Amino acid sequence: MTAERAPVNVCLIDDDPIYTFGFKKLINLKGFNSKVINFRDGEQAITWIKDRLNSPDLPDVIFLDINMPNTDGWEFMNEFAEIKSQLGKKITIYVLSSSINLNDIYRAKKNPDVEDYIFKPVNEYQLAEIINASQEDNNDSKIYKYRS
Amino acid sequence: MSFSKGHQFSDDSKQHLAQIIDNINAGIWEYNTTTRDIKWSSGFYTVLGYEPGEIECSNHIFFEHLLYHEDKPAFLAALNNQPASTGKPLQIRLLTKTSGYHWFESTVKKYTDETGHIFYGSIININQYKQAQIQAAHNDLLYNEAIKIAKLGSWEINTSTMSLSLSKQLYDIYELQNHVKLSLDEAISFFEPAYRPIIKNALDNAIEYCQPYELELLFRTAKNNVIWVRAKGIPIIDDFGRCVTIRGIIQDIDNKKRKNLALESSLNLLTDQNRRLQNFAYIVSHNLRSHTGNLQFMVKLHDDTEVPEERAEMFSHIKSISDSLNATIEHLNEIVKIQTEITNERTVINFEILFKNIISALKSNIEALDASIDYDFSGCPQINYIPAYMESILQNLLTNSLKYSSVDRRPAIKCYTLKERNRIYLIFEDNGIGIDLERFGDKIFGMYKTFHQNPDAKGIGLFITRNQIEALGGSIKVDSTVNIGTKFTIRLI
Repeated sequence: MTAERAPVNVCLIDDDPIYTFGFKKLINLKGFNSKVINFRDGEQAITWIKDRLNSPDLPDVIFLDINMPNTDGWEFMNEFAEIKSQLGKKITIYVLSSSINLNDIYRAKKNPDVEDYIFKPVNEYQLAEIINASQEDNNDSKIYKYRS
Repeated sequence: MSFSKGHQFSDDSKQHLAQIIDNINAGIWEYNTTTRDIKWSSGFYTVLGYEPGEIECSNHIFFEHLLYHEDKPAFLAALNNQPASTGKPLQIRLLTKTSGYHWFESTVKKYTDETGHIFYGSIININQYKQAQIQAAHNDLLYNEAIKIAKLGSWEINTSTMSLSLSKQLYDIYELQNHVKLSLDEAISFFEPAYRPIIKNALDNAIEYCQPYELELLFRTAKNNVIWVRAKGIPIIDDFGRCVTIRGIIQDIDNKKRKNLALESSLNLLTDQNRRLQNFAYIVSHNLRSHTGNLQFMVKLHDDTEVPEERAEMFSHIKSISDSLNATIEHLNEIVKIQTEITNERTVINFEILFKNIISALKSNIEALDASIDYDFSGCPQINYIPAYMESILQNLLTNSLKYSSVDRRPAIKCYTLKERNRIYLIFEDNGIGIDLERFGDKIFGMYKTFHQNPDAKGIGLFITRNQIEALGGSIKVDSTVNIGTKFTIRLI
């Protein structure tokens, strides 16, 4: 059954190369049905998402780091809020950070585009849950489309 | 009224006079210094609360019993020095029958006849008046003391003539010795220039709209002392509601105000330090957590992987995490060092010698970029500072300028000092890639904040520089234009 489902497109925005490596490796090792793209800061991600050529590959889930050089997680959220209505796809955003600063946590949770705040490093069970949930969403929307 | 038995006044007209005086609740006395003969009218007894003749009419009784001992010298002096006819009334205390000593006023006159020198006079009870006077003087004293303690002076403006009158105490606050008449503008000119429009405006509002005011203003006295004062004014209105008078006070609140200002600034400093400390704690926790998280993550992946090549790759990552952890701990160490080195002894540092040393330490970087470095420390060649800090500040700024130089032009770096009053400034300028301050603002002094894609950027240098400068009470300010250059202005002390 699973094989018939479309893979979940996952996007990781994080400047830490080691974390990025580990994240990709984990998805690979655990055999999640997903494709991963990654960007090392918010600006690169926004540029890619805005590009119409990439619209078939837009991610279902974004894992977003906060502390990044150049365009940080907050700035990415601001720019994302401006363009999200033109994307034609619901993208779920999880903030992924090592920060235990309550201000960061409140700020993220207050943002309507943020699904949840996850402390690094994400464990495989959490990741599996998020990817599966996203897959359910995808299938639901497909059924809905078919019916209409 | 009759005279007491055996005491006849010397002639009829005087006796008649004595009767009149007795009727107005006063008494008269007569004393012959030659015969030591003494006479009191019955009014004399009455004012003291006695029946006529109730006490012996004698020298001894008067001086030793009735007259208060402290008033004796004055009375005797009046008798001895009394010029023939006139004399000021004398104020003395006499013991009454039932209510203790009362104040009396007595005239003292003298004439001479064949029997000798005769003094005479009338006494009246002035106790109530005297008590009121003493009370009033006491109240005055209390009032003046209170005003003096409160360092308060009062004033009044007559709005029809716009004339101003000042109380004596206000002249004291102005430190004007002769109480010259001041016009309103002159009185206002004692306030510091920045505060003159404020007080003028408050007075205008009081006159025109009957608004009272209370302000705290800086004031320069005639002796050039600059003090904080509280200026308060209240309009007094007539039956038509127009302001006819403004009354007010000026109070010297310099001590309290300066303490308040000092308190405020140390509170700001503390709040700022506290905020930075908390921020620092979050940053440390964030960085340590991200390294340890990564470490945990890699170790787990390492365990889960069977492929030897992949395991080797993960192990190489584990090594680099270990290096990063080490670097973070070193940064922490540097920051903690700022606090421990603050107690180190300050020495006189020669800017030029130190800067030349730093240039030669960074010689290979400078030559690789073909950077030109100009310096001029003639504005202030030396400073008393903690050597380790100054070395670190100059080195960080120079490294920073070299690191963020533009590839489009030859790097030009300028460093110079300025001295203004007691302040020493260090200015550091470059023509590098600059930074978008509107976007990043003060963040450039934050920890682990990097703004360029430069792989060498660690986001620690300027954080440490700012902490070293501020630890010694200085400040750092940045001006920058993207692709033009950056200028740091540092107030060292």
